[in-house]
Amino acid sequence: MPNSATYLGTVQDVQGATISVALDKDTVSGLAFIDGHGYRIGQIGSFARISIGFTDLFGIVSQVGAGAVPEALIKVEPYGYRWMKVQLIGEGQRGGEFKRGISQYPTIGDEAHIVIEQDLARIYGRPDAPNFVKVGSLASAESIPALIDIDRLVTRHSAIVGTTGAGKSTTVANLLASLSDPKKYPSARIIILDIHGEYHSALEDRATSFRVNADEKRGEKPLCIPYWALSFDELLRITPFRNVPDAERAGLIEKIRQLKFSSIQKQARAGVTADTLTVDTPIPFSIHRLWYELYRLVCSTHTAQSQNQSSATEAIETDAQGNQILGDIMQVIPPKYRPITQSGANRVYLSGSPLNIRRQILALESLLRDTRYDFLFRPGPWCPKPDLQNLDAQPSQDIDTLLESWIGADRPITILDLSGVPISILMDLVGVLIRLLFDALFWSRNLPEGGRKRPLLFILEEAHAYLNSSNEGAASIAARRIVKEGRKYGVGAMIVSQRPAEIDQTILSQCGTMFAMRLANATDRSHVTGTVSDNLEGLFNMLPSLRTGEAIIVGEAVHLPLRALIEAPAKNRRPDSHDPKIYDPASDGGWNRPKRKENYAKVTEVWRSENPRTENNKSAKL
Amino acid sequence: MNRIPVDSSNIADVGYDDDTMTLEVGFRNGTVYQYFDVPQTVYQEFMGADSKGIFLNANIKNHYRYAKM
Repeated sequence: MPNSATYLGTVQDVQGATISVALDKDTVSGLAFIDGHGYRIGQIGSFARISIGFTDLFGIVSQVGAGAVPEALIKVEPYGYRWMKVQLIGEGQRGGEFKRGISQYPTIGDEAHIVIEQDLARIYGRPDAPNFVKVGSLASAESIPALIDIDRLVTRHSAIVGTTGAGKSTTVANLLASLSDPKKYPSARIIILDIHGEYHSALEDRATSFRVNADEKRGEKPLCIPYWALSFDELLRITPFRNVPDAERAGLIEKIRQLKFSSIQKQARAGVTADTLTVDTPIPFSIHRLWYELYRLVCSTHTAQSQNQSSATEAIETDAQGNQILGDIMQVIPPKYRPITQSGANRVYLSGSPLNIRRQILALESLLRDTRYDFLFRPGPWCPKPDLQNLDAQPSQDIDTLLESWIGADRPITILDLSGVPISILMDLVGVLIRLLFDALFWSRNLPEGGRKRPLLFILEEAHAYLNSSNEGAASIAARRIVKEGRKYGVGAMIVSQRPAEIDQTILSQCGTMFAMRLANATDRSHVTGTVSDNLEGLFNMLPSLRTGEAIIVGEAVHLPLRALIEAPAKNRRPDSHDPKIYDPASDGGWNRPKRKENYAKVTEVWRSENPRTENNKSAKL
Repeated sequence: MNRIPVDSSNIADVGYDDDTMTLEVGFRNGTVYQYFDVPQTVYQEFMGADSKGIFLNANIKNHYRYAKM
C-alpha cells in the first residue's frame, strides 16, 4: 500500500497513546489532493489513521519535525527523517462505527494514513444526523464540516475561551443560530445572561429580551426579579443586612417567616402549608412592610418603659388636625415619633427592642427609595403593595407567570439583559437568576415543561466577571451546582470568557466540551490546558497562534479533538460586540471624522437617567 | 468584643466596636449590657470621665437603646 495516495509513513515508536510516525521519503509535504479535495500533510491538529488488521486507530497530530524524533534516535539521525507525533484518540472497525478509547495499540511498521472525508464521515456517523450542528469546517481540510453533538454540548456543559477579538461572540452567535433553528429544534430553550446587552440586535426575531429600562418599541420587555422569590440568604446579601450578627439574623428570619405566614393565611398558595413554610419558601411578602414594621419596632419611642411597651404605647406625633403621623408603607415614609424625654409626667422612652439594626433599617429605607433597584423591589405585577388598611395585600401575579415569560416563551431564546443592573449587586443577581431557574427546573424535572423533558441551556457571557475563583459569591455557588448536578436535571451551562484563569477551576473542569480560541496569556493557557486530558497538551501549544475565528474543540461534543474554523454567522446574526473604530474608513465615527458640534447636555441626561437611550435617540442602534 | 478594665465602683470593664457603633459595659455584679448606635465621641468622653458610673447614668442610659447580654 505504500503507493496509496493517503499513505504518510510507518509507526516507529509507541509510548502509551503517543506514537511516533516516520514520514515516508516519498510523501509530499504541503498539500495533497485526494479525490479532488486538498489535504494539508503534517499539519498540527490534523488527523491520522493507523490501520492494524481490521481495526483503524485514529489520532491527532501534535508535533512534527526533528523534535518528534524518538529520544533513542536523536543522536543517530537528528534530521534524517521527517517525524510526526500522533496522539491516539479512538478506534473504529473497518466499516464500523468510531468509538473513543483504544483497545489495541499499533506496533512498529504499521502504516499511518491521512484521514480523508470518507473516514471522517465514519467518525461522525452521519454528518446530516439531526443531533449534530455544523459550526464551521476543519482548519486542515475545508471540505470537512466541523460537527458538534448538541446532546453532549448542552447537558455536559461547555466553555468557550479566547482573547478579546478571537471570535468568541461569533462562535456563540453561530451556535445560537444553529440551536435556535425553528425547523430543526422547535422546542429549544436557551437563556443568555447578557452583561453588556450585545445580543438583542443579533437575535431580534428569535429571542425575547428582558431588560431594566426596557424599550418597548424595540420589542424588549421589562426585567423584573421579585425579591420575595429569593432565599433568605440571597435577599440578605443584596440588602444592608448582609453582615448582621447572629441574634439580629435570627430576628429577621422570624420576622420574614411571620410575613410569609400571614401572606398564605390571606391567600393560600398551592404546594405550601403553614407547616411546611420556611423563610426560604418563595411566597410573596412585602419588603416595604418589613421595613415599616422593623422601623416601628426598633426606631420607635414609647410612653412606657421597655418591659411594658406594645403598639399601644408608641409615642407617635400628631399633625395639626390631631391625626397620628403614621407615614406610608409604599412611599417609604416612616411614622414620626416624639423625641425621648428624661423626666416629667409624659416621659417618652426609647424602644426596648434588643435588635441592633437601626442603621441597617435606615439604609434599607434609602435602598427601597432608589429607583435603580425598582426591577427588584418594585417588580411590576409581582410587587405586593400593602397599605396601613390592607397589610397583607397580594401581588397581582405569582411566579408562574414570571417563569413562563422567561423559559416558556414562544421564542427559543431568552435574553436577560443585565446591562442596567447596578454593578454592586450584579454578581449576586446572576447567582439568584441561575439558582431560581435551576430550582424551578430541578423540582419540575418530571413535568412536561421540566428540565428532563425540555432541557435548558444557560449561556453565561463574560463569566470571569461573576464566576471568579477568589469569590464565594452567589453566582459561583449557583454555577458550580449547575455544572455538577445540572446534567441529571436537564440544565446545561455554556461558559464564555476571555479570562479563563479567573474562573473557578471546578467550574471549568466540569465543562465537557472546550472551545479554545486564541489565547495569548500564559496563565490563561495553562488553566485551560490543565482542564483537558494530558495527551492533548501538544495541541494546546498552538493556542497563541490560532487565527481569528479558529478554535480547538475538544471534549464530549466532538468525537475527535478538532481544529476548526468557525463560520461567521450572517451579518444580521452577529452580536453587537465589535470594538469602536479609532480610524473608521466610513468616517462616521472614530478620530478621523470631521469635528462636529457636541451636546454634553445630552451626555449628562443619559448619565443621570442611567439609560443609554434617550427619548430622542431611542431607535438608534447602541 | 474585647473589654478594657476600668477603675469604677460598679463598672468592671468597657468595650466598643467601631463598625457596629456598639458600646459594651460589664458591671461588677457580672451583668453585661450593650448600648446601640453610640457615637465614638461619646465612648471617648465616657472613657475620659472622672466617674464612669455618673457619666453612664447621665449620658448613656435612656439615651441609647440597649440589650442585656
